Amino acid sequence: MFPIQSMRAAMMMAAVGSVLAAMPARADDYPSRTVEAIHQFGPGGGTDRFIRAIGEPFQEITGQALVPISVQGGGGVPAAVTFMQRPSDGYSMMAVGPEQVINHVLGRMNIDELRPIARIQYDQGLFLVSKDSPIKSVDDLIKTARENPGSLKVAVTGTAGFDDTLVGLWNIKSGAELTTVPFSASEMVSNTLGGHVDLMYEEYGPARGLIESGDLRPLVLFSEFRLPVLGDVPTATELGFDVSLGRWRGFAMHASDDEANANTMFSILDRAAVSESYKTIETQSGLQFRSKVLGPTQFKEFMEHEVEIYTDVLKQLGYVE
Amino acid sequence: MLDSYLSALGYMASNPFTFLLIIFSVVWGIAFGSIPGLTGIVGVALLIPFTFAFDPIEGLLLLGGVYVGSTFGGSISAILFNTPGSPEAACTALDGYPMARQGQAGKALGIALAASAIGGIFGTVVLMVAAPPLARLALEFGPPEYFALAVLGITAIASIGHGSVLKALMAGLLGLGVATIGIDPLTGMPRFTFGSMMLLTGVGFVPAIIGIFALAEVLQRFGEGPQKGYVIDDVSTELPTISEFIQTRVTLLRSSVIGTVIGALPGVGATTAAFISYSEASRWSKHPEKFGTGVPEGIAAPESANNAAVGGSMIPLLALGIPGSATTAVMIGGLTIHGIIPGPQLMQTNSDLVYSVFIGMMLANLLMLIVGVRMARYFALVLKAPYALVGPAIVVLCMTGVYALQNNVVDLAVMLVFGVVGFAMRRFGFPVASFIIGLVLGPIAELSLRQGLMLSDYDVTAFVTRPIAGTLLLFSAVSLIYGLAGQFLRTRRKLNGDTGPETSEEAKA
Repeated sequence: MFPIQSMRAAMMMAAVGSVLAAMPARADDYPSRTVEAIHQFGPGGGTDRFIRAIGEPFQEITGQALVPISVQGGGGVPAAVTFMQRPSDGYSMMAVGPEQVINHVLGRMNIDELRPIARIQYDQGLFLVSKDSPIKSVDDLIKTARENPGSLKVAVTGTAGFDDTLVGLWNIKSGAELTTVPFSASEMVSNTLGGHVDLMYEEYGPARGLIESGDLRPLVLFSEFRLPVLGDVPTATELGFDVSLGRWRGFAMHASDDEANANTMFSILDRAAVSESYKTIETQSGLQFRSKVLGPTQFKEFMEHEVEIYTDVLKQLGYVE
Repeated sequence: MLDSYLSALGYMASNPFTFLLIIFSVVWGIAFGSIPGLTGIVGVALLIPFTFAFDPIEGLLLLGGVYVGSTFGGSISAILFNTPGSPEAACTALDGYPMARQGQAGKALGIALAASAIGGIFGTVVLMVAAPPLARLALEFGPPEYFALAVLGITAIASIGHGSVLKALMAGLLGLGVATIGIDPLTGMPRFTFGSMMLLTGVGFVPAIIGIFALAEVLQRFGEGPQKGYVIDDVSTELPTISEFIQTRVTLLRSSVIGTVIGALPGVGATTAAFISYSEASRWSKHPEKFGTGVPEGIAAPESANNAAVGGSMIPLLALGIPGSATTAVMIGGLTIHGIIPGPQLMQTNSDLVYSVFIGMMLANLLMLIVGVRMARYFALVLKAPYALVGPAIVVLCMTGVYALQNNVVDLAVMLVFGVVGFAMRRFGFPVASFIIGLVLGPIAELSLRQGLMLSDYDVTAFVTRPIAGTLLLFSAVSLIYGLAGQFLRTRRKLNGDTGPETSEEAKA
């Protein structure tokens, strides 16, 4: 699926380029002041750092700043409300991810009110066990889980969120049923290492240190292809289970925002995402493997596809009727 | 190991810039800690982009110094204005402010500063000598142990303070109840929100304590009218004398140990450490009824614990790459950007970094003693202004601070509501301490109880058969019975006319 997407991205780029070339003054001076990106996570968290990381090349390209505004609490609803109250002038963006899709599915916000600009990061996660776990491989995992459905507990972060959806999809596709137990990110790791919980789900970047030291053993990866750094860890897809959901991060504007501004913004973000300073941070966070920039049209299609999957899984999990 | 220290010292000595960074970071940290809404987490997060320009050791020294400074900083405003500048200082206000109002603001600040430094140094020493084994010990703590720990703190509700046990329990239960508002942490479904999207945010700890302490205090002072001013004019910070020091040595030691251990547990940090050590200080005290009226132990306990928790929370960070607190979680992000992968190998692969941090934190704690005295003095200048000006300024500062915390308007509403709640609680003699202990420890108890039950397939015995959890729960039960019996006996004695020394300040807590 990626070659086609990147080809389309290239065509998009060409299209945007020609549009830009033909555009009169209006879009020329945009952005002429600071652009703010509202997000629902704490300062210093993954999304906050993502915005700051992309903000650095953004400043070099435009001469303007891209600043994260963290509106926390309430499962992301206050962040969405704050964003919706901002004017559609191209200077307020929202940092979006699976949380917005989930809130849409749960009826807490309407993502049709968003105009997707660019998806920039696309992460991949793993099921991991402690090195002392009796479960040595993904075959062990599937066997144990099929014999005693639901008896294995998987530590996840958040609740009724991305992790739950991923495990729910795994349960549906594999029949190797696991029970999720939500923890904070750090307690998830300590409970797995301490043997209080059977396994955990985490993205590669944050788990890397403990994988390299041998304290955590990766069992199965959720992506279309194996990671070059974890060559012997199979993907769920290889095993015949179509589970390749990943956490992603991107930007959106209001649906009512000016299309020319949106296209300008995309071309800026697209350039920022290939800058050296951003690429370094991307690699250091273990995000370089399948992060491909998607433009407005593809990003919209991607989000629509995500809504379908999430609706399906969250229905089966009983979160929506 | 000595080699590593020498090499780290060599690095720092050849790079005097690092010392400047430590001084700057402690000052920056104290300032962020003392201003409501600007917590240590924000202080650290704001500096992360600047660390890009430094090498990783300098960066981490900077962040570590801010962390040390901010944990003490909160107590300055807690003691002088009853306005905890950061959540970990909420507990310090319980005894710090009453002491300040008795004209001993300088003494209260001195105790807080000395206790902070002692706790901080204790935590750092433990971090230096015992990080790997303690990190392994922390892994033994699963949900049942967290539950038992929270229960231990909560049972102290009955033994804290001097008023009626019934009122203390009511306030504690109210705290536990209020903590359940918002999104259910295990199912993600709204609870007690009555269909309101605003209430999804729940009652945040910081907005609630700012309301209950700061706003309620301003309401109270204005309610009393201008003629009845309590003048806090003695603010020349005086460190405690050696003999005062020896008097509180047991409290200091106990609280430092509690702080370090709780700090080392992932997910709970300085705030929990402060509250549990306050609970324990009052539980073991010969005169628990005086807590809340301005006793030195009531300041020394939370301050030494929350600063010890700083060193404690670095233990899992450096030994395992797991953050022990919200602030260290932000630090991990900063490390990653420098290409350092936090994990068990950090101590081998980056020993210069790790040992420099040890030395840096030690220096930061010592520096805090010098810088803290000066900064508290500047803060205290505010007290020379008439309260008619200071009071409204506090309200404005708190409102901006509470909003700045999460940029969420709901928090402002929570703060205003809890200002009234706090005012009413004092009027009717409900102890604030019980309420906030319920609010802080309730969510930990609830979450870990439910996590533990899920993990044990709803087998309750799993909580008492585990050695650590079982011991803690048994101890809580025994102390609860003992505490209630003690209260009962005291009441009996009181009825028999043996009231003992009591102050008229009592109803204020």
